[in-house]
Amino acid sequence: MTGLLAQASGGIRWSWITANLDDIWEATVEHLWLTGIAMVVGFAIAMVLSVAAIRYRRLYGPITATAGVIFTIPSFALFFVLAPFTGLTVLTAEIGLVLYTLLVLVRNTVAGLDGVPEDVKEAARGMGYTRNRLFLEIELPLAIPVIIAGLRIATVTTVGLVTITALITFGGLGRFIIDGLQQNLFVPKLVVGALGPTLLALALDGLLLLLQRAITPWSRRAAAL
Amino acid sequence: MIELDRATKVFPGTAAPAVDALTLDVPAGEIVVLVGPSGCGKTTTLKMINRIVEPTGGTIRVDGVDVRRQEPHVLRRNIGYVIQQVGLFPHRTIARNIATVPRLLGWDADRTTARVDELMVTMGLDPDMGARYPSELSGGQRQRVGVARALAADPPVLLMDEPFGAVDPIVRGRLQGELLDLQARLRKTIVFVTHDIDEALRLGDRIAILNVGGRLEQYATPEEILREPATPFVEEFLGGERGLRRLALRTVGDLGDLGIGNCVQADATVEEAKRRAAESGERWIGILDGDRLRGWAWVSDLDGSRHAGDVDTTLFRVALSVDATLREAIDGLVRSRVGVAVVLGEDQRYEGMVTLDRLAQAIVS
Ligand SMILES: Nc1ncnc2c1ncn2[C@@H]1O[C@H](COP(=O)(O)OP(=O)(O)OP(=O)(O)O)[C@@H](O)[C@H]1O
Ligand SMILES: [Mg+2]
Repeated sequence: MTGLLAQASGGIRWSWITANLDDIWEATVEHLWLTGIAMVVGFAIAMVLSVAAIRYRRLYGPITATAGVIFTIPSFALFFVLAPFTGLTVLTAEIGLVLYTLLVLVRNTVAGLDGVPEDVKEAARGMGYTRNRLFLEIELPLAIPVIIAGLRIATVTTVGLVTITALITFGGLGRFIIDGLQQNLFVPKLVVGALGPTLLALALDGLLLLLQRAITPWSRRAAAL
Repeated sequence: MIELDRATKVFPGTAAPAVDALTLDVPAGEIVVLVGPSGCGKTTTLKMINRIVEPTGGTIRVDGVDVRRQEPHVLRRNIGYVIQQVGLFPHRTIARNIATVPRLLGWDADRTTARVDELMVTMGLDPDMGARYPSELSGGQRQRVGVARALAADPPVLLMDEPFGAVDPIVRGRLQGELLDLQARLRKTIVFVTHDIDEALRLGDRIAILNVGGRLEQYATPEEILREPATPFVEEFLGGERGLRRLALRTVGDLGDLGIGNCVQADATVEEAKRRAAESGERWIGILDGDRLRGWAWVSDLDGSRHAGDVDTTLFRVALSVDATLREAIDGLVRSRVGVAVVLGEDQRYEGMVTLDRLAQAIVS
């Protein structure tokens, strides 16, 4: 409290930011890595689960229910439930992050695949598509907009959660928040720790949107009509 | 070509069969139309042929081979399939949609492209359309693409489930005409499903009228069905105006040579023109310039002129093509001021006139 007052009277040392750009950049890259790994692994697992849920309908309920329960566990709690097994490591952080992505990704992937119009699938079967080709060439491409919508939500969520995992790994932009809190609410660090992930999330969200537009030209033109 | 032998489908969890022991032969090169009330099993019957629906009893042979002895995807690549909702692939351009089966069959790129271009022309699709997506086409254009896609690998057999169901009556009529033109050249074996009896009568070489449970009420040519409905069900299904509908099966061209009709050449004398009109029992006369029909004039207006062509003429309001049906001819007669329907051939060449007498002769014979 006294520190905050001191800063208020003496002005905030914004120059800390320009003086520490290297550190900030390093933390940003680390933040991206932690996010990226979680997304890639989460997406791969979600795809497997989604395909299983589509092929064997009975699995859909249990899969989404489990993912849903995990999603409702407060992130703090989840990380500390895992810690006794895997320690205060990046692995612990990643396991938690991956688990959090699953619900959104599975739900959207299944919804996307389910949303492929029945007439399109029937026409494809009627023309002699085998089951695998039907999935790869028709169902999956048509589900892309909904799948990417899920990826965007999951990515934004994960970028935020990576900030929290700094408590375990002391990595990523979140560590500036921890530092800032410990140094009598040193405002420039708190700002970097809070604003950084926000900007990062916005940027990644925008990139994914661009990616979707690029690979699904048909949906954009359809929407423009 | 396609033989259904006691083909049966009982869907799981239902007591009554959707199609119960249906026996039907579809001759090669003909259009057979399955028609009947909603839920009578038309779609189910059609889908049993390409095994989208697996029969639970009986056998179905295409070209002599039991469909169950072939891998479904192999069987299907040899059978064109058009569904009511069209089912174009939204993420693929029109050209890519049409190329579907050739690509599945592994045709090389040049051959595929050439085939796609050819089909777009055949189906009256603007070549620019090839690069568009299905959402950028009108309903009628999509239906055409659906048919083009089914024809792409030139399959001998075509299954069409209400392919023109989703378009307005005018476009539907045009697409029906195009299908008939196409069929005149391609001679495919086509099974066509509709619940519109007029569409069935227009397109079918033979019509199978189905009752609930896929019960075959009558299987015959349109002419026979209209002349002698086999059961009260068929009679009711055909609805009223059976006589008029029969007239819809014959064209003006079927009447044969119509003669010159109540007409003279423009350089004929007024006396000649009057004599001609009197012979026809009319108070007007048509005036020709060679093989062009100029119009008509009242006989009473001819007085004081030397040649028939000297007087002002009125255009005929109704002209029919040789392809027009006799039903359309009657409609033309009724709408015409002078009680005849003019028939024009290629390049508007005058072919003659249809009169009520002439029609009466044809109807009675
Ligand atoms: N997958 C299915 N499971 C159970 N019953 C079905 C299934 N598909 C069709 N049926 C039933 O089989 C019967 C025949 O259906 P079908 O779709 O062949 O009718 P249709 O003659 O094509 O009718 P419409 O003119 O309305 O298209 C109907 O009673 C329908 O409810
Ligand atoms: Mg149907």
